[in-house]
Amino acid sequence: MPDSSTGVVVIGGGSTGAGVLRDLSLRGIDAILVEKGDLASGTTGRSHGLLHSGGRYCVNDLAAAIECVEEGRILRRIARTTIEDTGGYFVSVSAEDEAWEPRFVEGCGKAGITCERIPVEEARRREPALSKQVRTVFWLPEDGHLDPFYLVMGNVESARRRGAQVRTYTEVAGFLKQGNQVSGIRTRDTITGEESTIACSAVINATGAWAGFVARLLDVEVKVVPVKGVMVVLSHRVAHAAINRCHKPGDGDIIVPALSVAILGTTAVKVPHPEVLPIEWDEVRHMIEEGSLMVDGVSTARAMRAYAGVRPLYDLGAEAEGREMSRNFAVIDHEQRDGIAGFTSIVGGKVTTYRLMAERVTDLVARRLGVTTPCTTADVPLNDRDDELDQLRHRPAQLGVPKPHGDELALQPLVCECELVRPQDVAPWFADPAVRTLEDIRRRTRTGMGPCQAAICAYRLAGRLVTDRHQDGPAATRAMADLLETRWRGVRPVFWGSQLRQAQVTAGVHLELFNLDRQLMSQGPLPDPPPQAREGDIPVEVASQR
Amino acid sequence: MKADIAVVGSGLAALVATRTLQQAGRNALLIWPGLSSLYFTYATVDVLGYSDLTTTQPVDQPEAGVAKLIEDHPEHPYALAGLDALRSGTALLTEWLRDAGFTWQGSLARNLLLPTAIGTPKPSCLVPASMAAGDLRRTEPIVFCGFHGYEDFVPELAAANLSRSWGGDDQSVRAIRVSLPGFEPGRLFTSIDIARSFEDVAFRREVAGRIRREAAVDGVRIGMPAVLGLTHDMEVYSSFAAEVGHPVFEIPTLPPSVLGLRLFDRLRKHIQESGVEMVWAAPAHAAELSDGQCRRILLKSAGREQPIDARAYVLALEDTVDGALRAGVHEVIDPFFHQALAHHAVPTDRTDESLFKPQPFASVGYRVSNRLQPIGDDGRPLAGNVFVAGGAIAGYDPVGSKSRGGLAIATGYRAAREAMAA
Repeated sequence: MPDSSTGVVVIGGGSTGAGVLRDLSLRGIDAILVEKGDLASGTTGRSHGLLHSGGRYCVNDLAAAIECVEEGRILRRIARTTIEDTGGYFVSVSAEDEAWEPRFVEGCGKAGITCERIPVEEARRREPALSKQVRTVFWLPEDGHLDPFYLVMGNVESARRRGAQVRTYTEVAGFLKQGNQVSGIRTRDTITGEESTIACSAVINATGAWAGFVARLLDVEVKVVPVKGVMVVLSHRVAHAAINRCHKPGDGDIIVPALSVAILGTTAVKVPHPEVLPIEWDEVRHMIEEGSLMVDGVSTARAMRAYAGVRPLYDLGAEAEGREMSRNFAVIDHEQRDGIAGFTSIVGGKVTTYRLMAERVTDLVARRLGVTTPCTTADVPLNDRDDELDQLRHRPAQLGVPKPHGDELALQPLVCECELVRPQDVAPWFADPAVRTLEDIRRRTRTGMGPCQAAICAYRLAGRLVTDRHQDGPAATRAMADLLETRWRGVRPVFWGSQLRQAQVTAGVHLELFNLDRQLMSQGPLPDPPPQAREGDIPVEVASQR
Repeated sequence: MKADIAVVGSGLAALVATRTLQQAGRNALLIWPGLSSLYFTYATVDVLGYSDLTTTQPVDQPEAGVAKLIEDHPEHPYALAGLDALRSGTALLTEWLRDAGFTWQGSLARNLLLPTAIGTPKPSCLVPASMAAGDLRRTEPIVFCGFHGYEDFVPELAAANLSRSWGGDDQSVRAIRVSLPGFEPGRLFTSIDIARSFEDVAFRREVAGRIRREAAVDGVRIGMPAVLGLTHDMEVYSSFAAEVGHPVFEIPTLPPSVLGLRLFDRLRKHIQESGVEMVWAAPAHAAELSDGQCRRILLKSAGREQPIDARAYVLALEDTVDGALRAGVHEVIDPFFHQALAHHAVPTDRTDESLFKPQPFASVGYRVSNRLQPIGDDGRPLAGNVFVAGGAIAGYDPVGSKSRGGLAIATGYRAAREAMAA
């Protein structure tokens, strides 16, 4: 007897999986999502957060560009509070860029992208940080910032309100089959090792760059090419709007103002495994240099951390590699292709088009299940019920930022001063069983994402593990240390300037005032840096994917 | 400006050096490059907490521990400064604290072992008397007391950890919380706001009553966040402890550290009151040298350059904390001689994979002679009349061994003596 049962199991807790879960729930199909880490902890949470107008793809990948145009407009309706309408500039800084302009303008026209050439002087008036090298400026009002964490949480919470379930830190260990029909999955808890089974009528593999590993458990092949992208986080918004270089997409040519920070992106390096994502100094340096060509202040801003994500590019068999490959997606019907009923993969794509990807794969699976309810995800807003997530955008206003004259200060207490996170923002998540680590709290609330990188809030969060979750002292202390260590990993590649002073404050608090190093030693060996696969550790079956 | 001896720095080493000069009757000028992290993270003076980085066994006798360290590591700044400098500097600081109105406890003979805000025992050498009752060699049960709506000290976390490493039974360590009158839930307040309220007699009487009722049993001691008054004197602490009716001890909280504020505000003011001239300035950015001597340093203050001419200089910088050493992408540059104190091919090389292990960047600083003069690549002093103290000395990281305070004292004292002799 399986431990639980449902209609559809969705594997993967990124934007695609979350979108599929919501789509299923809106069609009234019972579903459970399993994710081997936390929600939005893979590709989605490590994206640069650019809501694509389509301008970036309009020359080389027209189909993807057209999808971006349509989906961008839909997301502005249904996911209003996860988007900031920054607009975007495409700027030329060299003769080579200028040569690209006619193709760019033509591509925008073909894809239906709103694009307006504006005089450089006018652009400088609106965006004074544009560098002196900027020669030509196009304004694309539909570029924006899409917060990947709120997007995933918004989809998942919407689905949960309709009865869907989520199991984080739960990996697929194998499949249950009856003949050629998939009838369920075996799961393993990645923290406790506990095993379980879920019976279901269909499984959707929405694991992006990991899709090949999941498919392999059924002895079928899904070829996904993992392509690494490195991002650098600057401690403030160096520009009002998203800035793109007007050229053939390359390294370091996107700057996205994202909430309190700006994100420089990105690189494209084919990697042997989606979890082998080293951040090379040359990549960081190159991105800062390239970013400086477009915007003044990139090289003098405080680089706060760097991180790497992996694109799940689907190999259509073409010769193209990395950026040349299509950002399009594909639904793989394994019943038709491999004779395995009840198993479907959704691969490729990108965050901006997650909803469409979910719609397409859910259409197929629903049809097979005999469900005729149409997709409504393009019309029903994510926060269609009273929901705290709705208010995230308005946080500073809620905090009662004091007016210069008159009003008495009415500041509310904060758990994280850098990101203005209040106790009531974190408290509900401590009651959510899907939240297993303090990093999960960070992803849901932005706690610890600011300049101090959790030096202050880690202690307060650890305190809540004791008071709200009744964890013992060593467990809470280890959780605090793990959060600090994970943040530290991102700080190390950009360790210069005031970053050193910040680290000395962190050490002063945790190692000198708190004696945390001795506490950890007395609890056992120092924690290894959180697990990250290395090249030497790649399983044999992965190596063959290179 | 002209001075006999100029001391540059905003930490304990700078203060000890300045006081040493003043006590010897010398005309010292203290150049204070602004608030350092001391205000955020200082609470006690730690001389030597652990003899090496792998042990959890605390050092019981810091002076003996340092003597052994000097024997084993002749290049260590403690060895360069000498045990006598630690002894004399500690005596000078202890006396100074008394003169300035502080009541502190401890000596080089024996460390105290005090619980931290995460409930870990930590060895410290000199501590405010308001912390001393926390010594874990005493046996009374401990009640950690926090406040509702205040998360910078979590009594439940402190109790959860300490109860595992200390005390005989389940009753040895407990956590309680009381609410603070006038501090409504849902309003932002910091350690400093609470400390200011404790200056009020009625407030602390009310809080003491609430704690007495909540603690409920006799024979315990109460561990509190360090918010018992903003100033250095013991009046708030003593009267509050008397009202509570149990021994009370303070525990350093998340920043801002009220203990650090009390210490540095008072010492800085006291030394000014006793006649030492002080300049607030951005860190110095150049030195003028001739004949192997430093003739002048240039400060940036109030938008202009200010020359300081002294016979000798003590550079008592706190690593990069006070912004004195500048970390570019590859090089850490010193502000006086503009030499690269360290070169890192990639910024990652400055750090360890773990935040909790010694960090290469923390030991970047001036290499010094056995008279604490900064030396160049050839091993010769860059200037005969410049002496380095505190975190700016290369080759050690006091974080893991819990020795920041003692090193500041020993090197501050020794550098001042050398500057007098120069």
